[in-house]
Amino acid sequence: MTEAASTTQPDGVATPWSITLEDVSVTYPNGTRALRGVSAHIEAGEMVSIVGLSGSGKSTLIRTINGLVPATSGRVVVGGHEVTGLRGRALRQLRGHIGMIFQSFNLADRTSVLNNVLVGRFAHTPSYRTLLGLTSAADKELALRCLDSVGMLEKVWARAGALSGGQKQRVAIARALCQQPSVMLADEPVASLDPPTAHAVMGDLARINAERDLTVLINIHMMDLARQYSRRMIGLRDGEIVYDGPAASATDADFEQIYDRPIQSRDRMGSAL
Amino acid sequence: MTTQTTELRMPPKPRNRWRTAAIVAALCTFTVLTCLPAIGGVELDFAGMVRNWANGADKMGELLRPDFSFLPRTITPMLETLAMAVAGAALAAAASIPLTLWAARPSNPNRVTRQVVRFIINVNRAVPDLVFAMVLVAMVGVGVLPGLITLFLFDVGVVVKLVSEAIEGADHHYIEAGQAAGGTQSQINKATLLPQSWTLYANQWLYSLELNVRISAILGIVGAGGIGRLLDERRGFYAYDDVSVIILEILVVVMIIELCSNLLRSRLR
Ligand SMILES: Nc1ncnc2c1ncn2[C@@H]1O[C@H](COP(=O)(O)OP(=O)(O)OP(=O)(O)O)[C@@H](O)[C@H]1O
Ligand SMILES: [Mg+2]
Repeated sequence: MTEAASTTQPDGVATPWSITLEDVSVTYPNGTRALRGVSAHIEAGEMVSIVGLSGSGKSTLIRTINGLVPATSGRVVVGGHEVTGLRGRALRQLRGHIGMIFQSFNLADRTSVLNNVLVGRFAHTPSYRTLLGLTSAADKELALRCLDSVGMLEKVWARAGALSGGQKQRVAIARALCQQPSVMLADEPVASLDPPTAHAVMGDLARINAERDLTVLINIHMMDLARQYSRRMIGLRDGEIVYDGPAASATDADFEQIYDRPIQSRDRMGSAL
Repeated sequence: MTTQTTELRMPPKPRNRWRTAAIVAALCTFTVLTCLPAIGGVELDFAGMVRNWANGADKMGELLRPDFSFLPRTITPMLETLAMAVAGAALAAAASIPLTLWAARPSNPNRVTRQVVRFIINVNRAVPDLVFAMVLVAMVGVGVLPGLITLFLFDVGVVVKLVSEAIEGADHHYIEAGQAAGGTQSQINKATLLPQSWTLYANQWLYSLELNVRISAILGIVGAGGIGRLLDERRGFYAYDDVSVIILEILVVVMIIELCSNLLRSRLR
């Protein structure tokens, strides 16, 4: 994928990609219809939050973008590359340009922080080098820079399992950054963190979006975090988009549309900083 | 605070009294049936046991009087046994790494290759170690080599089965992260799954070493080298005082190996 490789600028920061979903539906093998005809366009460099009740299809939506969940019908286009139908090497190459972070951090707990961050280099490393445990000096340097950018450099040799939740999520962000991604996906990145840590991690993501001009998509439960850190909000309900507009000006009626009831104080995390 | 006690209404606990009774009855029937010689069950000759009691008691008596002057002659065979045990466990440990990765679902999503490896391992495990040893003695001749190969095969079976099952029983969220980063399965296995699972491996490797010392002691009986051969020879001469020394020695060595292995294991996190 030479076209994709050429999007990396000399300074190591990738150019952002746009995302287009055209009438995307996902039906899981057990028959669950998780997405029904979802269409949306996300501009390169935008930061968008996706909200919705549990089971509304947020995780499914975000996973169709890097092909972890294949779209059953419709088209998913990321940075000019059609994800639908890609497999094998081509899919892995594309994923190399899409960073992802998870609610449960998904680190290998028994190995070092550095090894975890180097996972971000998989798509850019020949398999035999990984198998022989050979890390290029450039990759290591990049991993250290990414750790430094989330303030975790001093933990580089720590076991990932020995970190706190917030520290783990930062390492996971460093791992995704280490891919030099053009898109960053985040599936409820702060759902298992306390309020101050949640704000810190959201702040990191907003900063990455601003500094690196990276397209960022975040699934999130807390309305106030969605409003505070993103300008655009997409509301999902039963696998369909029921709101797509500015996060700040969403009305109570819009919330009722998304959550099936008026917004309540417990939907907010509060400014517990 | 009001302490008015409203009665808690618990949902009825599901009971399977009939099923339990049926299982117990079936087990009892089966046990009784297997002891009825008329229908091919084992014959329990209690009278014979009583008659031969004196005989056994004599031998026990001899066993209780070990002749320690025999000890020096046991050293070389014992070292041979230990060498067999350690080398077998080490070779098996090396072979078990890729085989286990092929046999476990998280490290090998391909059903076909997974089932093939599992099938071979299951066949390997179905063959009793003494049978392996006997066949191998016939093939490569009496000595340490058939014992070594037997232990290797036995250990590979144990380690691959237990570790691949342990890997399947554990959570591997990081695999999704590796896939999302565009990694191949082998990259994910090498860089994250192996470091994550190596204590599982190490535990079983040590365990297989423990088993080896015990097994290799009897492998000698079919000609596969080591202390077992000496044991068989002395038993053939009815030299129960020497047999007793060998048994005690095996006991001590097994205990020492187990002690070391437990110490090492407690250090694994
Ligand atoms: N692997 C799967 N197999 C079958 N059904 C699934 C699978 N993953 C999700 N689903 C179903 O698809 C629907 C949408 O799930 P999804 O995980 O996308 O929701 P979500 O909005 O992320 O929920 P949450 O907020 O709880 O994470 C749910 O009904 C869920 O049960
Ligand atoms: Mg989800």
